[in-house]
Amino acid sequence: MMKIRKILTGLALAAFAASSLAASGLTGRPAPDFALKSSTGENLRLSEYRGDVVMINFWATWCGPCRQEMPLLDELYTRYERVGFNLLGVNIDDDSSRAMNMIHELGVNFPVLFDSRKEVSKLYDVDAMPVTVLVDREGNVRFVHQGYKPGYEEKYLDQVRSLLRE
Amino acid sequence: MTLVKTLCFAPALLLISSAATIAQESAPMDADAAIAEATTVAAAESESRDKFRALDNDVQSLKKEVLDLNRDLFLLEEELLFPANSQVAFFISMDVGEYFKLDSVSLKVDGKEVANYLYTDREVDALLRGGVHRVHMANLKTGEHELIAIFTGQGPHTRDYRRGATVQIDKGIGAKYLELEITDRVKKQQPEFEIKEWE
Repeated sequence: MMKIRKILTGLALAAFAASSLAASGLTGRPAPDFALKSSTGENLRLSEYRGDVVMINFWATWCGPCRQEMPLLDELYTRYERVGFNLLGVNIDDDSSRAMNMIHELGVNFPVLFDSRKEVSKLYDVDAMPVTVLVDREGNVRFVHQGYKPGYEEKYLDQVRSLLRE
Repeated sequence: MTLVKTLCFAPALLLISSAATIAQESAPMDADAAIAEATTVAAAESESRDKFRALDNDVQSLKKEVLDLNRDLFLLEEELLFPANSQVAFFISMDVGEYFKLDSVSLKVDGKEVANYLYTDREVDALLRGGVHRVHMANLKTGEHELIAIFTGQGPHTRDYRRGATVQIDKGIGAKYLELEITDRVKKQQPEFEIKEWE
C-alpha cells in the first residue's frame, strides 16, 4: 500500500514538474504574437506593444484565484500604465458574455481579450489557471507564473519594476 | 690661518661641486626616462586602441555575416517550404474604405480554413494608406482550386457586416499571387470585394 502511495506521489510530482516545465519553456524566448478581440470591441495585437512591458494574464470565470487576483492586477495596471506598462487579460471562456459580466462586477480597467478558440492559450502552453506571463520591452518572455496564491502580487510588483527599469 | 681655512674648505667645495655635477647629469636622465616611459605608455595605448578597433571591426563583420546567413537561411527556408512552382500568396489591400471598416479576414481554400486574421486599428490604417498585407502563403497543386474569402467588419452606418467572395483559381506552373481588394462602390454606397490575380 505504501509503495503504491509512493509511486502515485512520484507520478503526481513528475506531472507537476512537467506542467511547470511546459510553461517555463517559454522563458527567455520571444513571446508568441497574437491578435484577439477585446472587451471594447477593438482588436489588439501583442506585437503592437513592443517597447512596453506587457503582462499577459490568462483567466477564466470559473477560476477562484483569478477572481482574487484580478483586482490586484488592476491596481498594478493603474499604477504603472503611464510609465510603459500594459496588461492584457486573456479570457479563455467559451462564452465571452460571462467574462463581460465578471469584468463589470470586478470593475477592472485593463483590456480583456477573448480567446474562446483557445488558440492563444495553446501558443502559451497554458495548463493551469491563472497563468501570468511577463514580457519585456524587447518582446521576450521573462517570467511565467502558474496559479495564484496571496503574496504573488509582491513578486509581480518586483518583476514589473525591474523590467520597467531596464 | 686663512690658508688653513682654505685648505679645509677646498675638499668641501670639491664635494659640493661634484654633487652639483651629478645632480646636473641625473636631472636630464630622469626627464629622458619620463619621456621614454610616456612614449611607451602612448604606444601601448595606441596599440590597444588599434587592437580594440580591429576587434570592433571583427565584431561588426561577424554581425554582418550572421545577418547575411540569417537572410540566406530565411530565403532557403521559404524556397524549401514554398517552392516557387507551387506557391500561392494572398494579399489584402484597401481602397478608400469609407463604407467598410475591416475587422477580420478568413480564407478558405477548397473548403479548408487556411487563414483567419484579425486586423487592429493600426493595421487597418496602414492598409488605408496604401499598404498591402500578405495574409497567407500556401502550396497548391496545379489544377483548379476554390478560394473563399470572408470579410467581417463594420459596413455603412456602423452596422456589422460580413461578406464573402469566391473565386476559382486555376493553378498552373509557376507562382501565383492573388490580391483581395476592398473598394467602395459610391453609387450603391456599399463596399465591394474583388479578387484580382497579379500578372
